[in-house]
Amino acid sequence: MTAGDYQMLLDGAWTTIWISLLAIGGGVPLGLVLSLIRVSRFPVLSQIVVLYVSLGRATPLLTLALFLFVTLPVFGVNIDKYTAGVLALTLNTASFNTEVWRSAYQSFPQSQIEAARATGMTRALYFRRIMLPQMWYASLPSLVNEMTLLVKASPAIAVIGVVDLTRVTNRIAAQTYEPLPPILVAGAMYMLFISVLVRLQRHLEKRAERYAT
Amino acid sequence: MTDLEIVLNEWPRLASGFANTLLLFGISALGAFVLGALMLGAFRSRSKIVRVALGYFVDGMRMLPFLIFAYLLYYGLPTFGVRLDAWTVGLLGLTIYHCAYVAEILRGAWDQLPVGQTESAQAHGYHGFRLMRRIVLPQLVLNSAPVLGNQLIYMLKDTSFLMIITVKELTYAASSIQSMYFVPLEPFLIAIALYWAISLLIEGFVAVVHRSAKERGLGRV
Amino acid sequence: MAASEKKPVLQVDDISKSFDGVEVVRNVSLEVHSGDTISILGPSGSGKSTLLRCINWLEQPDRGEVYLAGNRVGRKEDGQLMSDRELANVRTQMGMVFQSFNLWPHFTVLQNVIEAPVHVLGMTKDDAVARAEQLLEKVGLEVKRDAYPYSLSGGQKQRVAIARALAMSPTVMLFDEPTSSLDPELVGEVLSVMRDLAAEGMTMVVVTHEMSFARDVCQEVVFMNDGQVVEQSTPEKFFSNPRTDRAQRFLTRHK
Repeated sequence: MTAGDYQMLLDGAWTTIWISLLAIGGGVPLGLVLSLIRVSRFPVLSQIVVLYVSLGRATPLLTLALFLFVTLPVFGVNIDKYTAGVLALTLNTASFNTEVWRSAYQSFPQSQIEAARATGMTRALYFRRIMLPQMWYASLPSLVNEMTLLVKASPAIAVIGVVDLTRVTNRIAAQTYEPLPPILVAGAMYMLFISVLVRLQRHLEKRAERYAT
Repeated sequence: MTDLEIVLNEWPRLASGFANTLLLFGISALGAFVLGALMLGAFRSRSKIVRVALGYFVDGMRMLPFLIFAYLLYYGLPTFGVRLDAWTVGLLGLTIYHCAYVAEILRGAWDQLPVGQTESAQAHGYHGFRLMRRIVLPQLVLNSAPVLGNQLIYMLKDTSFLMIITVKELTYAASSIQSMYFVPLEPFLIAIALYWAISLLIEGFVAVVHRSAKERGLGRV
Repeated sequence: MAASEKKPVLQVDDISKSFDGVEVVRNVSLEVHSGDTISILGPSGSGKSTLLRCINWLEQPDRGEVYLAGNRVGRKEDGQLMSDRELANVRTQMGMVFQSFNLWPHFTVLQNVIEAPVHVLGMTKDDAVARAEQLLEKVGLEVKRDAYPYSLSGGQKQRVAIARALAMSPTVMLFDEPTSSLDPELVGEVLSVMRDLAAEGMTMVVVTHEMSFARDVCQEVVFMNDGQVVEQSTPEKFFSNPRTDRAQRFLTRHK
């Protein structure tokens, strides 16, 4: 492989990284909002969330990416492949994150809520000041685990033409007729990102253990 | 002809894709569980080489995207003179990749199993394979039913990646109908509904196993 | 009690065992004759449980030998370590009852008792079930045959554990503090089963804190301290007139 090939791989890696970051940046808060709708038990909305989570966790990312890219234009939403990729990743990861947040919410100690209410705090206030920070710390290991899964599933967006780290290997192979070297390098790069996330997750798990209520 | 009629006309294509997905999922899931369970004893092997090699294998699979591993097999095996069709490569990839995850899940459960379980079995004359199969493994599976169930769903979803190495599974079928007839919505809706149905079945199965575990006082909360 | 001229059914020769450089069992020797019940007493940390676990090689002794009915345990005649399979084979002749019961939770009570006879000894299921029903009746738990261990009390679990060990028709039964994990009111039901067993002539080695059992049921009391056998005599002599200081101090504390 030439230096130019390595450059392409780096570009592909960068594409994977920024798309993943956007999806994480959108998917984590979206999961929180959806989980709150779910636990609030609003009549129609919470059922929709249940449906969304069930479907979202069952649908392969690749299928979802293809579906969005091909179907949205029919409804007048003209979407380029990068946006479709980010959207697919976001919707997918949000469905898992919803469950992570919901679990953190439902396992939150009632005793602390009672103490907050006894001091006259409103629901909005104690949610923001008491529950949310702790839910955040408790959820971090699972959220980071989900980020790891997101990066591992991200090659799915290559199928709609996004030139991510995986698709780049196809391009290089198309020129050099040697598919294996770029795949090996790409594999090593993926392992590098993911091992960073895994290390982060282990660190967060140890920290969560220490502060467990 | 309406879009839906077109798609329904193509039902053999969808059925064939779905059948492939189910076969690939079913066989690889079985294989991954058997392999993962067989590998379990090696985690506590007396040979350091075995333990280290196993560690590298499991960590490697858990840090690699499935598609990259499938690519490695698909493009790499021929260089070793192994010429397999895409379907077999896909099956192999799914099985080997996921057996590492199953082994790791079972290993985690094993670390949490009270040592008295193994000791009382040993005191009654159990050892080796029989000890694992009769006494240890059933408890590990019952204890980690929900986590294993999640892994099954990942195995189902990973089958879709195989369309990229030309395996004609469900997503490929939906995509090809869409591109042939320009019917964007229906094929994918049907495909997604089918994936959903299977994962609901998996979750139902896991619920049954989990209930069986709870009856016996097993199952991590 | 006349000393038997026959060879002892269980012989422990000069066993030593260390953990992390600390010697937990030091040069301990024992002889147990057929039909006898031996109790091993001592303060916590005296090495009694470790000694017991060395007998069926759940712990591998650093030095010394164990003989069951004249045959070496853990090492073959040529001195080589036994394989897992050979060791498992020997263990079928020794029953062990654990402090934390260790019943197999995924099996019912009946399944727990027939499991090893069927899958290790190769008994037919019908034979094993018949024997199991007999044993469960003997320990008073035939009504619980289809219950899971999860639903039993500690005393019930331990009685099932005794039945489970007896189902293998062992030559000797080893008890590792069988009542230490039990609520006081449940201790009696387990001791009662053990008394009956001793009266029937089972050879038993019992590590225990239950002085009444040691005094009333055993042929010999072995007192350990700091890994060594400090005193060894009949219950009458030990309880009324201990020779050593340490035994005396132990007894006053455990009156």
